[in-house]
Amino acid sequence: MSTINFAAREINFKIVYYGPGMSGKTTNLKWVFQQVPQNRKGEMVSLATEDERTLFFDFLPVDLGEVKGFKTRFHLYTVPGQVFYNASRKLILRGVDGLVFVADSAPNRLRANAESMRNLRENLAEYGIKAEDIPIVLQANKRDTPDALPVEMIQAVIDPEMRLPIFEAVATTGVGVFETLKAVSRQVLSRVAAAS
Amino acid sequence: MVEPAIALFGGAYENASQVLEELLRESGARYALLLDRKGFVLAHKEALWAPRPPALDSLATLIAGNAAATQALAKMLGESRFNELLHQGATHGLYAEEVGELALLVVIFDNSAPVGRVKLFGKRAVQALEVITRDSVVQPGTLGIDHEYRDGASALLDELFGN
Ligand SMILES: Nc1nc2c(ncn2[C@@H]2O[C@H](COP(=O)(O)OP(=O)(O)OP(=O)(O)O)[C@@H](O)[C@H]2O)c(=O)[nH]1
Ligand SMILES: [Mg+2]
Repeated sequence: MSTINFAAREINFKIVYYGPGMSGKTTNLKWVFQQVPQNRKGEMVSLATEDERTLFFDFLPVDLGEVKGFKTRFHLYTVPGQVFYNASRKLILRGVDGLVFVADSAPNRLRANAESMRNLRENLAEYGIKAEDIPIVLQANKRDTPDALPVEMIQAVIDPEMRLPIFEAVATTGVGVFETLKAVSRQVLSRVAAAS
Repeated sequence: MVEPAIALFGGAYENASQVLEELLRESGARYALLLDRKGFVLAHKEALWAPRPPALDSLATLIAGNAAATQALAKMLGESRFNELLHQGATHGLYAEEVGELALLVVIFDNSAPVGRVKLFGKRAVQALEVITRDSVVQPGTLGIDHEYRDGASALLDELFGN
């Protein structure tokens, strides 16, 4: 649940980027960090291995500005995508308000996408959350891969009911990065507004 | 969103701040923070003499992550919890303790402040903070974020991330 600090007049939301290893989660955050003006972001914290694979999480706070007297902030996190980091991945999901699922468009990662989505459902279930009950936006990243699979084929394995919005992206050049983030943020805001 | 949230405001916030302030005075520590388990800062105090603290957002996130990892380790070893987190370097130390189910107290101190004192007054502060935060737990839906708020925030999203 979003955290509200009435004293500081702040409302904070937690958005987590999920997906298989190497799909481009950290690259999404790096792009946001590069593009957002200095006064609208905090430090980016990356807990990564020597070879730049996420070990625990990346973190980037983004200041949206003031709404109705409340400073509104999005805390963006990525999880480590590698299968054997599941214990840490689970911890990052605590208190999540919205999710971006970053899928890899390469043909040899199709199964990894599917497995990561299944893993997400399992981990959410441990917090008593159904995937249907939380805003999730899909991103088909690495659209610049020469043999990139059709988006529908990717969605078919991670969202067979074709229920979720999906955005095409090339995170290295920023294509689709803001669109994805805006979409999940809007859903999070709508959900909170509807709850009150 | 399934998790209840702590919303500190008004008197509860004042009381929590006062507890942190007292803790700093009695322990001689630099900074004291009350966080929720997700790594958001609920309240914080700095000693007047202390230099500017590092980015509190990052600090809070790392400590919450660290605490979560520590508790996961405890569970794996069949412990219900490990009591506290204590890190000490050549000149600085960091002490963190759970405040009920939903919050954490963090104290950052110079080595001029004896660690025993930090822990003693830290634990005392935790007791007071536990009561305050318990009374400040709100269920989602009572927070008063309405459609007007959503529309305002939505417009800011376009402003920041483009149309
Ligand atoms: N060609 C191409 N490469 C990309 C794209 N997005 C990310 N990459 C590259 O893919 C590699 C992995 O990207 P990361 O962002 O570190 O992947 P990750 O999902 O954070 O991986 P883990 O931390 O292991 O879970 C890096 O070399 C990126 O530069 C893209 O859209 N196109
Ligand atoms: Mg990464």
